[in-house]
Amino acid sequence: MSAAGRALAAALLALASPAFADEIKPGSAFLSPEMQRQQEDQGRNPGYLWVEQGEELFSRRESVSPTCISCHADPGQSLRGAAARYPQVDRASGKLINLEGRIEQCRVERQKQPAFGYESQDLLGLTAYVASLSKSVPLSVSADGAAKPFYEAGKAFYERRQGQLNLACTQCHDDLVGQKLRGDTISHGVGTGYPAYRLEWNGVGSLHRRLRACSLGVRATQFDYGSDDYLALELYLAVRAKGLALEAPGLRR
Amino acid sequence: MASFNARITMPAEAKAGEIVEVRVLVRHPMDRGGQVDAEGRVVPRKILNRLTVTYAGEPVFRYDMHTGVSANPFVSFTTRAVETGELTFEWREDGGATFTRTARLVVT
Amino acid sequence: MSSPISPACAHPEPALSRREVMAIGAAGLALAALPAPARAAAPPALTELIARITEGAVPERGRITFDIPQLVENGNSVDVAIQVESPMTDADHVRWIHIVAEKNPFPDVARFHLSPRSGRADIRATLRLATSQKVAAIAALSGGGYVIADADIVVTLSACIDGG
Repeated sequence: MSAAGRALAAALLALASPAFADEIKPGSAFLSPEMQRQQEDQGRNPGYLWVEQGEELFSRRESVSPTCISCHADPGQSLRGAAARYPQVDRASGKLINLEGRIEQCRVERQKQPAFGYESQDLLGLTAYVASLSKSVPLSVSADGAAKPFYEAGKAFYERRQGQLNLACTQCHDDLVGQKLRGDTISHGVGTGYPAYRLEWNGVGSLHRRLRACSLGVRATQFDYGSDDYLALELYLAVRAKGLALEAPGLRR
Repeated sequence: MASFNARITMPAEAKAGEIVEVRVLVRHPMDRGGQVDAEGRVVPRKILNRLTVTYAGEPVFRYDMHTGVSANPFVSFTTRAVETGELTFEWREDGGATFTRTARLVVT
Repeated sequence: MSSPISPACAHPEPALSRREVMAIGAAGLALAALPAPARAAAPPALTELIARITEGAVPERGRITFDIPQLVENGNSVDVAIQVESPMTDADHVRWIHIVAEKNPFPDVARFHLSPRSGRADIRATLRLATSQKVAAIAALSGGGYVIADADIVVTLSACIDGG
């Protein structure tokens, strides 16, 4: 094939492919300028109330267990960028875990304390705190090696038509981005702001809570918090948004 | 209810006579009452109904809140820097519980 | 059910009704179909509410600005800012500012008490608005008079309601 032919083929491929990482925008790009300002304002974004709770829990001692900070000293440095590498495959178990899963694992296996439970205020606080330590760090999750099958499963989930409305994620979050859906603007479906303070919730919630709302929206099966399906989807979304800066705690409608 | 916490944002220092802005964000569900929870029970009204702010002992601001104030409410107001002292923030919740926080303003 | 003052977040909401699924389908149409905000004088209910607040006095327009988004993104938390032109001296200051929302279940929303110590009459807060309506800010002045500003607001509905 000639160079011109290759260029043409590449251009055609580009046209056919619905999404490009360099075009993907974070959720905050679809907010009003006022809400964008508020998200960045630690005295105004209520998500920081949860970050503050997480910061307290991080150094709170329970019985004789080590505290988080006894292993992760100087978290502002030692954990900076950590959240940007989740979800990832846990070496010991071979399972895909996200930041919530890693915090729970530390809690149960190292601190010998009962798990907080997905979507508990304590786990949301800790997750929001640890995620906030990676604010503005570019997302860099792996889709290769052990992560490959999970990535493929997540991609398949994203592209599969689901529910009574028979919609795939991609039909809105690639094909209709920027258009209005009732009072909302359709975003790229990027999770870099989570855990986020959502006005609809009057509080902070996880990405999986947001995904459950998406599933309900198309009248499809709502999977459990921390389910394999949503974990794989979370990985796919993270790979798709590779290079975007983390912005948790986000502020969302 | 989750832990009460408040974020008070204001300058640590001001010149005498300067007007300073005080911004207050507080964690509270502000349950307006009447909603039905997951177990089918009606949630009673429980809101923060008042925030009183004193500065070096003198009242400088009061916010009367009703059910039309948002969850995790934010409020900002101004006060004139007169002397070095504590600003004391006291929230009163339905049922009589109170929560207090303080912030120091140094006046130069 | 996707009411802006929906139950606390931990509580699952009932499944979507057929009508709401249709509404999601109708998406963009919903906004376009909204009527332009009425510019008529305050309706009687609001006038009565105001009269109760001012003990019968008729508030004047002017000297007070009331910033509130005309199109509210989510009624759960609506940013408002109120400023009153006042020297804030012992002789001439704003005593309080009262917010009233005629169609809220409890129309008295908030009252901010100020004094000459405030330096300025300049308040921001986050309110909860049940539906599209007229909202008014009334300030009581130390001289005994009142000033008022109001706004017609439209509360849009979120498409992505929570499934718990």
